[in-house]
Amino acid sequence: MSATAAPLILAVPSKGRLQQNAEAFFARAGIELVKPRGARDYRGTISGFDGVEVAYLSAAEITAQLAQGTVHLGVTGEDLVREMIPQSQRRVVLVTGLGFGFANVVVAVPQAWIDVRNMADLDDVATAFRLKHERKMRLATKYANLTRGFFAEHGVVDYRIVESSGATEGAPAAGTAELIVDITTTGATLAANGLKVIDDGIILRSQANLVAARAAHWDSAQREVTRLLFDRIAAQKRADQYREVRTRFAGLNEKVLAAVREKFGVATPFGGPTSSGMLTLHCPPEYVHALANFLREHGAEAVSVAGLDYVYTRDNPLYAKLAAELDAAG
Amino acid sequence: MSSMANTGPDPRAQALVESYGRAGYARIEPPTLQPAEPFLDLSGEDIRRRMFLTADPHGRELCLRPDLTIPVSLDYLQSPAAGKAAGFCYLGSVFRHREGAAAELLQAGIESFGRADKAAADAEMLALGLEATTQYGLNAPQIRMGDVGLFAGFVAALDLAPAWKRRLVKDFNRKKLLAQDLDQLTLAAANGAPEYRGVLAALTGSDPKAAHHLVTDLLSIAGIAAVGGRSVAEIADRFLEQSALNAPTRLPRETRTLIERFLSLKGDPDEAAGELRALADETKIPLGPALDLFETRTGFLLARGVNVRAIEFSTAFGRGFDYYTGFVFELHDTADTLPRNKSPLVAGGRYDGLLTRLGAKTAIPAVGFAASIEELAARGGAS
Repeated sequence: MSATAAPLILAVPSKGRLQQNAEAFFARAGIELVKPRGARDYRGTISGFDGVEVAYLSAAEITAQLAQGTVHLGVTGEDLVREMIPQSQRRVVLVTGLGFGFANVVVAVPQAWIDVRNMADLDDVATAFRLKHERKMRLATKYANLTRGFFAEHGVVDYRIVESSGATEGAPAAGTAELIVDITTTGATLAANGLKVIDDGIILRSQANLVAARAAHWDSAQREVTRLLFDRIAAQKRADQYREVRTRFAGLNEKVLAAVREKFGVATPFGGPTSSGMLTLHCPPEYVHALANFLREHGAEAVSVAGLDYVYTRDNPLYAKLAAELDAAG
Repeated sequence: MSSMANTGPDPRAQALVESYGRAGYARIEPPTLQPAEPFLDLSGEDIRRRMFLTADPHGRELCLRPDLTIPVSLDYLQSPAAGKAAGFCYLGSVFRHREGAAAELLQAGIESFGRADKAAADAEMLALGLEATTQYGLNAPQIRMGDVGLFAGFVAALDLAPAWKRRLVKDFNRKKLLAQDLDQLTLAAANGAPEYRGVLAALTGSDPKAAHHLVTDLLSIAGIAAVGGRSVAEIADRFLEQSALNAPTRLPRETRTLIERFLSLKGDPDEAAGELRALADETKIPLGPALDLFETRTGFLLARGVNVRAIEFSTAFGRGFDYYTGFVFELHDTADTLPRNKSPLVAGGRYDGLLTRLGAKTAIPAVGFAASIEELAARGGAS
């Protein structure tokens, strides 16, 4: 029962695009990461929040520390979580996808294998290869665990993994492996190396995630600051999903409201029209123009559409999810 | 590690391996640290998860041996006896990561190489396995027996595309996959009708050379350079195989029923042999040599005084390791007072293909078994 509680530790990528994207993501949520002792410092804080420490680490290190519980929260790729942490759902909680760092973990074979289109073909070819060559096909990858799970699911057993630390896509041309499992965003690097992705060979569609460590020390102090952080993130996320649409006209009644909810997936955060007849709607961006047409067809003279920065609601779904997971485990 | 660890705290284990010695098997102590490659190549990637891996300064992958069959086989191939009939016994640890249990397990086993009298050698393994349980006071363990050779022979005789035969034999050890295979075969689902009908039609009736040229031309038209592992000939052969069959990738319902009927046969070995003969006669599917070997083996088991009527044989029984090629067996505690652990007391089988895959120039028949000292000591009576 010490008076000064241990800080909540948030681990953020220390380099490159992932760092920029992560900082931008937090900034949009009104969470400003600061490095009080200069840009080269590997420890930081969040302005306006007490009891939070930001640790700048590599994505792999973040993943390892999440598994051990030496940080509470971290930003890392789902691919690393699934690969590096055995039985990851028991060790960490994937709180939410962050909308950047998209990449697929895929099975790729030489383009010359024109007879191999899907995993069933690969299964057959692997067994035929073993029978013909008296050895198993070699598969180069950094993702040994993901590969094993996926291949087992598809019943492919006649292969063996050769660990690859870099330039995996070059392994078939170099003769050190017959096929690979690797991460790709556009497939261009694979194509440049004479490889193609198998039709049903996408093992994981990955993106950067906000991840929580089950094994970290979660006292009321760390939970409270997490609740506040997640509240901002959720408010920003919700704001991203909607545009604010405002209008006022005489023919506006419950029937029209029911129709716009039904047709355009619109939310009415403040209920029906106010006493002055003003109506505020939250509309998914893709339906904004159709909604504006619909409202004018029903009598609106003017409809304004604006972006939203934050939409706070009574609930805090991200924190609720984390709290439920932590309590279930404890 | 000192040899004390190998002899263990249990003097019965020492006595057991000495009894193997008296039965004519030379004691062997392969190194604990082994090259990882043979295990990964032969036992499958699944075992990697359970292996303790390390590397030497040259980057060669090494492991703590996860079983003793491969190390003993390697030592035999290095010995002057390689290729000749020779038998070895061991008492030593194997290392496998197990959730919630110790990773080091003590095993006492036998490997017998190069014996042409396979049926007799098989029967001897089961008999010696039973003696091992007797030494621990377990006089009538449950005997589970299977024969991978019967299924392989049966599938080979079916009227099926080679790709499907390969797949059925490969999936024999994975019962869930086998059931899926049968579903897929009958439905001719995703993998059903082959793609590239045009190519296959063009190849119908071609010889391998013409097929090879066609595939070479296709690749060259598409501007694809052949890269790595599989040759153009292999790709051509696979197309040819599909075209020759004119796409009968569908399993006729009666063939599926037949496979399921085959896999449902169980009973003692004599009953099973009778049913297998009846099935073979009725369906005109010859089980020939595999069934002859099976029946001869039963004869040798009787001659060794094994209570054959108590053996629970099943055509579907496999041990989940791909290197077994014929007879397989497991001995279990009938009381099964420790439900936590369903590991067998003793387990083994025939692995005729393994030595070639480890580098032997000619095929060398091999059979063996291992007794788990931990299981025997936990379940057996006091010595």
